Amino acid sequence: MLNIALPKGRLGDKVYKLFSACGYDCSVMETDDRRLVLSDEGGKVQYLLVKPSDVAIYVEHGAADVGVVGKDVLLEGGNDVYELLDLGFGVCRMCVAAPVGFRADLSAPLRVATKYPAITKRYYAGKSREIEIIKLNGSIELAPILGLSDVIVDIVETGTTLKQNNLEVIETILPISARLIANKAAMRFKASNVNPLLAALQAKATEGEKA
Amino acid sequence: MEQRTEARREQLMGRLRGLYESLGYTRFSMRRFEEYALYLENKSFLKSESVLTFTNPDGKLMALKPDVTLSIVKHARKEREGVEKVYYKESVYRLAPTAREFVEIDQMGVESLGAIDSYAVSEVLRLAIESLRAVGGEYVLDVSHMGFASGLMEAAGLTAEQKERLFTLIRQKNAHELALAIAEEKIAPFYADRIAKLAGLSGTFPETLIRAEQLAVSDEMEQALGELRALYTLLTAVGLADCLQLDFSMLNDLSYYNGIVFQGYVQGSPRVVLSGGRYDLLMRRFGKEGDAIGFALYLDELTRVLADRGAWDADVLALYHSTDDLAKVNASVFAFVAQGLRVFATSTRPKDFHAAKVMAFDGETFKEVP
Repeated sequence: MLNIALPKGRLGDKVYKLFSACGYDCSVMETDDRRLVLSDEGGKVQYLLVKPSDVAIYVEHGAADVGVVGKDVLLEGGNDVYELLDLGFGVCRMCVAAPVGFRADLSAPLRVATKYPAITKRYYAGKSREIEIIKLNGSIELAPILGLSDVIVDIVETGTTLKQNNLEVIETILPISARLIANKAAMRFKASNVNPLLAALQAKATEGEKA
Repeated sequence: MEQRTEARREQLMGRLRGLYESLGYTRFSMRRFEEYALYLENKSFLKSESVLTFTNPDGKLMALKPDVTLSIVKHARKEREGVEKVYYKESVYRLAPTAREFVEIDQMGVESLGAIDSYAVSEVLRLAIESLRAVGGEYVLDVSHMGFASGLMEAAGLTAEQKERLFTLIRQKNAHELALAIAEEKIAPFYADRIAKLAGLSGTFPETLIRAEQLAVSDEMEQALGELRALYTLLTAVGLADCLQLDFSMLNDLSYYNGIVFQGYVQGSPRVVLSGGRYDLLMRRFGKEGDAIGFALYLDELTRVLADRGAWDADVLALYHSTDDLAKVNASVFAFVAQGLRVFATSTRPKDFHAAKVMAFDGETFKEVP
């Protein structure tokens, strides 16, 4: 039996559709069930529905064998897992955004509001820029408007929210998308379960590229 | 429950000590502290970079040791003839993997220093396998050779930074980002195709070896494969090859490790529980003669595994009456012990006691009762 951790919500639904098309279907998932652990009758697969930011933790500690998680969460958590495949959806960018017309004062530390302190720290350390991190949990766009920070580091999908708040992307840190991750021990003891899933998903991905 | 895990851990350590000593490995004991500079200069050798430090009365910055191998090599004699075999059981101090807090961890390990020939390598590998086996349950030993990946990157003429970038992605088995990085670094297609395959180059030994042979482009790589082949042949001959897997995505730090490297996993633990390899370069760094190979077993990673192994308080709960022939009871109880069973003998049945078998004395011998 393969334990798969899926992020609850929109991304999870999309991932489930993909997995089910690869033969990892689970009829209980399709009913409007509130349970968090769902297994198919054949005993081939069990889905765990967890908070998106917790997927990598479940996989790292072996509570799930594989999982699907955004690259942003993976980089922020720095979890010790294998990253096996780029699933090619949930595509967005990790960006630095600032009020339109913003000019940095290089003589003072840059104040950065973000949900991603680890990624932010690493990025600016690489540029030898001194910063002050303001860790927020949501509505990051509000910070520069109220003067709480100079810039923000956040994920940008279409840029609509930024535009509406009179912000613009000034630097792109890296591209983000959904990744298939696996527990290190599961790759040894459950290779016969993990490898077919990986192969099926890879086949789907190349199919998608050709189409 | 806690006590039982502790008892199992003690039992395991006792067995391992016996195993190492029976092959002539002598116990190496060390001081609790080392100068911090030792760890600062060899940061990339450590499992984690965080070190617990304090200032001694002379104003020197000291550290509670996060690692034992560095100390063994540092304090080893400069010159030696033949081979020196040591084992250790020490506490090391590291950041807990999940919380930002220092913890004391029991670690056991084996190091063989000096004239390391193929036999010495196979002996250490076999000890690693036997150590995993002693934990109980299913286990896997992943083996690789640093010379394979490093030889390939050397042939492609990559810089140290390029190598480090690619190594990080290969370790994560991150084939998609590895392909992007290779394209960005503008590596010649002949090498690019081969490097791209490293992330997925793992599996059963003979089959993976054949796939690897197709990638070999230099003497260093051929030599690495030769060593792996010889090791596999030897361990097959002694019937220990079933647990071996070959995984070229497993890469240790290039500035310390050359040659064979390996990592052990046991069923029930989500992380690496045993890690080791050939570290001749560390010996050179400390100006010591000879080569070295060794491994460490992380006992902290085994806590959960040992707790899960057979949740019985005893194998046999042996019930007798005080009116029974106690000499016969005594003899029967010790007969169980001689079979390797754990027995709890009592005249009153204890509450909340979990035994694999409950047996009652019938005047002659113990018979199973429901």
